[in-house]
Amino acid sequence: MSDPFRTSTADPQLSSRLPANIYQRADGLTLIHQEIEAVPVVVTDIWVDAGARHEYPEDSGLAHFLEHMIFKGTDRLSPGAFDCAIEGRGGATNAATSHDYAHFYITTADRDFEATLPDLCDLLLRAKIPDDEFELEREVVYEEIAQYRDNPDDCLFAATMASLYPASAYGRPVLGTRDRLESLTPETMRQFHRQYYQPHNMTVTIVGNVSFDRARDALERHCTDFRPPASYRDDRPVSAPPRQTQICRDILELPNLELARLNLAWHGPGVENLRDGYVLDAIAMILSGGRSSPLVRELREQRQWVQAIGSYFSLQQDSGLFSISAWLDATYLQNVEEAIVARLAELHDTAIAPAVLERAKRQLCNDFVFSTETPSQLAGLYGYYHTLDRADRAFDYPREIATISPEEITTVARRYLATDAYTATIAICEPAT
Amino acid sequence: MLHSQIHRKTLANGIVAIAIGNPSTDIMAARFFSRGGSRYDPTPGTGNLMASAITKGTANLSSMEIAERAESVGASLGTDVTSDYFLANLKTVSSDFGEMLALTSEILREPSFPAAEVELEKRLTLQSIRSQREQPFSVAFSELRSAMYGQHPYALSTLGTEDDVATLVPQDLHRYHRAYLRPDNLIVTLVGCIEPDRAIALLEETFGDWEASGLPTDLPPLPAPNTEPRRVGLAQDTQQSIVMLGYSAPSVLAPAHPDEPDEYAALKLLNTYLGNGLSSRLFVELREKRGLAYDVSAFFPTRVDLSQFVAYIGTAPANTEVALDGLQAELDRLVARPLDPEELETSKRKLLGQYALGKQTNAQIAQILGWYETIGLGTDFDERFPEAIEAVTVEAAQETARKYFSGTPYISVVGPEAAIEPVLGAAAVG
Repeated sequence: MSDPFRTSTADPQLSSRLPANIYQRADGLTLIHQEIEAVPVVVTDIWVDAGARHEYPEDSGLAHFLEHMIFKGTDRLSPGAFDCAIEGRGGATNAATSHDYAHFYITTADRDFEATLPDLCDLLLRAKIPDDEFELEREVVYEEIAQYRDNPDDCLFAATMASLYPASAYGRPVLGTRDRLESLTPETMRQFHRQYYQPHNMTVTIVGNVSFDRARDALERHCTDFRPPASYRDDRPVSAPPRQTQICRDILELPNLELARLNLAWHGPGVENLRDGYVLDAIAMILSGGRSSPLVRELREQRQWVQAIGSYFSLQQDSGLFSISAWLDATYLQNVEEAIVARLAELHDTAIAPAVLERAKRQLCNDFVFSTETPSQLAGLYGYYHTLDRADRAFDYPREIATISPEEITTVARRYLATDAYTATIAICEPAT
Repeated sequence: MLHSQIHRKTLANGIVAIAIGNPSTDIMAARFFSRGGSRYDPTPGTGNLMASAITKGTANLSSMEIAERAESVGASLGTDVTSDYFLANLKTVSSDFGEMLALTSEILREPSFPAAEVELEKRLTLQSIRSQREQPFSVAFSELRSAMYGQHPYALSTLGTEDDVATLVPQDLHRYHRAYLRPDNLIVTLVGCIEPDRAIALLEETFGDWEASGLPTDLPPLPAPNTEPRRVGLAQDTQQSIVMLGYSAPSVLAPAHPDEPDEYAALKLLNTYLGNGLSSRLFVELREKRGLAYDVSAFFPTRVDLSQFVAYIGTAPANTEVALDGLQAELDRLVARPLDPEELETSKRKLLGQYALGKQTNAQIAQILGWYETIGLGTDFDERFPEAIEAVTVEAAQETARKYFSGTPYISVVGPEAAIEPVLGAAAVG
């Protein structure tokens, strides 16, 4: 029998950059494996291209609710049996869903690898989604939504996304809303599961003290027999967000708010232009990476208008998002927004000093080193990049960052971070009644 | 295992240096602990404000110069205070480590606490204190903590209170710094790719000439809480009610008698059984089977002084009383019947497995060893703890549950007025 796995990275230069190996099975399933002998653990992290962006608007919350239901077992595993099996061996398991992915991970002692992988595969491939468990778990998701709504920063983020991505799945909350979830049926969920939890949508990352042969053999034995694909509905691409042509300002009034929030956001590139994403990472670091950065220095330390300020670029499959967030006294909302815009204008008009750029690069590269220390960090990084794009890109990061020039900073700032077209979301305390 | 890899040296000035080598990554982590912590704040919030302001000026460097030095090499340098110790933590790639040690030395030894910087950090701290009221969980916990601890300093968050923090001036920070941040009260852990003896030598080069003050290093006993269990809470316009049940619990340093159960270990296991993970008792009973919550768990922090055992749930306001009864029933059950041997074994494996997983990064190892040394347990507690867990029997677990969970608990609820009123009684709703 021929080896069902083959190396998918044809370019040896490319694959050598990644300390892991990428293999693709004939049915489309990807295995990314890295052996680390120094640690007695194995992390298995299964990434599925089954995030909320595949939902129809009326099913908002389906992908995340399914993540909960995956743990409710199969014909072979009763609800909770998987959690007991993993945790009873001293391992840990959990899952997360975003617009672009759902992923499920276990960390176990290396000797438990073969004993635990079959159950994880069984859950993902053959989730039963029992009707009675569906009804019960929906109550849990309602509580998750309620908890989210009691967090002002989460509310603000949801409002920013809704404003930035109208009529797109990115604009709807991953958790969904109570209204939508109420009318959702187990049958719709099963269809969604059978359409997206298929081998070509899955990246299995296995990192730790386990050889490639063991990893592949276990996967060959247990990550097979997928359910026949069903059609949730015709898949359709996420519609491109409308261009930002003006300043769009939304104000939220929230109860129990002690500090106002200001969030300025811009559309960024999707994975089709990772390079611009890296440059936006550098811009975020230049603007607010530490006390010596201009936004923190000016607004927190000198003018003392903000409690805290930060910015980041968040990569998403179709359209990333660049945002600058401040926690502040409501009195200074306008001053702070103007100051941020003035800083951006400076980025458009004046070349960045080489020393400032070098400092940002060094911070980013060190952060990358600090975030690739453990098997679970590595497994997450590979799975994330491979689900959105290609895993080998993950380790291009330091090299990409190193080659950013001052001119590129100016070009990318002008391309994405307009000073006269952005989405401002503001949260203030609701007036006492 | 870690214990056998430790290189340890007490410098002439009293600094205890603990180093472990780990060549697998190019990362050096160092942690600087001083004994004391916010429980010895002369005015609540002093230690926290000192930790915030200590990086904002030295005899030779301004706040911006300090920030630029650390940020230009992409190092991470932070300071914090907990109820039991002060902490500075440093993380760098190996080539920058020596330079960053020198900077850390200057900050810890000669902070200047410039008046303008102290004023700024004070204002930001006051905002942070107010911001805690935005989160129902932190409001409920703050109410519970103050009901349980009464006169004891654990009653307050490390941030202190608005009234107290408003009175602090640079002189208070200097005095606190002199009293606690001194070589004969300092433990430093160094973990990473630099060979341990070399790391200790670098520490000695940068910290070795810091003169000990010669003051006594005893930490005086603290007032007993002197409280009685009661129900507290606050009405807030929230989506969820937060319900907490609290019981007084022993310090990790409470003397253990040979013929009595190790109560600390037994309570850690009971906490794991009730609240740790997707297969824990509270999760399964109240979330999986009854759909009452998304977040339901328990915690039993390791404390130098009297600790607390807390079970909590976030639930729909209409379910406030049901959820409280559900939590109470699970605590009562631990008193009424012994765990099955299999339940106990599972909890042991879970606790020890997760304990091992918590020591993966250099920073995690530096934290746990330094913390044990600082609070007086010694670094070998890293080995004694798993042994103590293994030794807990079902009888010992039940005896400990009986001792601590038999009485009336302290109860804290936060949520819409109509939901919490039945729990608190109309008069008590704040």
